[in-house]
Amino acid sequence: MADAVIQVRSVSKDFLLPHLRHSTLKSRFIHLFRKRRVMEVQHTLRDVDFDIARGEFFGVIGRNGSGKSTLLKILAGIYPPTAGHVSVDGRLVPFIELGVGFNPELTGRENVYLNGALLGFSQREVDEMYEDIVSFAELDGFMDQKLKNYSSGMQVRIAFSVATRAKAEILLIDEVLAVGDTAFQRKCFDHFRTLKKAGVTIIFVTHDMDLVRKFCDRVILLEQTRLVAEGDADAVAHEYDMLFAAHS
Amino acid sequence: MQGFVAHLRLRYRYPMIILRAMVINDFKLRYQASVLGYLWTLLKPLAMFSVLYVVFIQLLKFGAAVPYNAIYLLFGIVIWAFFADASTQGLESLVQRADLLRKISFPRYVVVISVAMSALITFGLSMIVIVLFMALARVPLTLNILWLAPLFVELVVLSVSLGFILGALYVRYRDLSYIWEVVLQAGFYASPIIYPLSMVPEQWARFLLLNPMAQIIQDARYALITDQTVTITQAFGDPWVRMIPVGITLALGVASVVFFRRRSPYFAEEA
Repeated sequence: MADAVIQVRSVSKDFLLPHLRHSTLKSRFIHLFRKRRVMEVQHTLRDVDFDIARGEFFGVIGRNGSGKSTLLKILAGIYPPTAGHVSVDGRLVPFIELGVGFNPELTGRENVYLNGALLGFSQREVDEMYEDIVSFAELDGFMDQKLKNYSSGMQVRIAFSVATRAKAEILLIDEVLAVGDTAFQRKCFDHFRTLKKAGVTIIFVTHDMDLVRKFCDRVILLEQTRLVAEGDADAVAHEYDMLFAAHS
Repeated sequence: MQGFVAHLRLRYRYPMIILRAMVINDFKLRYQASVLGYLWTLLKPLAMFSVLYVVFIQLLKFGAAVPYNAIYLLFGIVIWAFFADASTQGLESLVQRADLLRKISFPRYVVVISVAMSALITFGLSMIVIVLFMALARVPLTLNILWLAPLFVELVVLSVSLGFILGALYVRYRDLSYIWEVVLQAGFYASPIIYPLSMVPEQWARFLLLNPMAQIIQDARYALITDQTVTITQAFGDPWVRMIPVGITLALGVASVVFFRRRSPYFAEEA
């Protein structure tokens, strides 16, 4: 691909999982002294290849356990691939979850600074954008309360507000919009559209085919650890729907 | 040179921002629900000191021959407390932050350094208490005090190295926290903290002083409080023997960096 910001070449990922199931107390006791724990290899991704072009709104879909989240974490540099190679060109910011590092015992304000730091903003930089963050979240007057007293919707709003500030060239989003009311979700997608216009590449993992059809330029479908379809949103979303049709 | 500084600034900008946020929030959270709050950082070593003072100095008359034996005892305890704190917190740090490790990609060493910084803050506050006691007891200062700088560096390198190694191992082997607790307990009694080295037979005293913590504590007491104490120089009659514990510390330092770097890509999936 001419202007690929992300290249994924034959990436596989295996996890070694310790086998800890013991049916009886006796076997548990015996295995306590066994030197080697039995390890089970779990293949999560097998030989996945694709490119993402600059400025694309790129969808990743698949059923639960198909390897979507693992793929995202490999792109984010959180997991190393077992085999294969990933190259990323540009500043990538992952939102595997909104509000990473949020602490319920700290106030809203303190959490904004903490979350901002994790996104790479110094205290002074957060000072400058603080007012905007609070007004975007529509949470004026709540910021000195502890986060544990916020509703989950409020937590998502404040987290998303901070996230919108991230200076990303590539944004990874893993179903973070599951919470929040309709109005706020619309606000989020308006924000994504603005980013896209500014040339930001967005990689979006979801189960919601309406969102895929509405926003994605190109989509890949993962099924049982493999990439099984790649193409425009309508075609691949249709394939996804067919997966369920075949099983019912 | 300026280009080099700018390069370092840029490279360590993100790690420094995260480190700062972690240390500040740790400190905020630590004494949150307690009435006396930050005062506990000072009260805890003082309380521990009082117990040991009554038992070992008042009742058992340990170290009666050592000048300023109470401050001498307290200083040893404070140094050991830093070592125990930094290494134990380092051991648990990666597992405690597992949630963060699984969600964002940042240099993993920041986690271990952040708990060491917290321990260092506590250590600094305890040192204020010691300085106060020294002023009250009018302990004379000598130029030997300059030795404290390299000794504290050695102490930090030793503690943080162990934090790195233990932290990386603990991700996989959760038995380690129990083992380390016992090792620390043994180490506390294997170091001349509550008893004077003069109580120990000479060949044993020599052997004990090869342990970096024993060497650091004795050298630091010599530098700050009194030269009437047995350091590794006196025990062997040769200042160069000090290179053995210092060498152990440096070797641990190098080993910890190599080991930690090799393991760190896998913390997210194993922690």
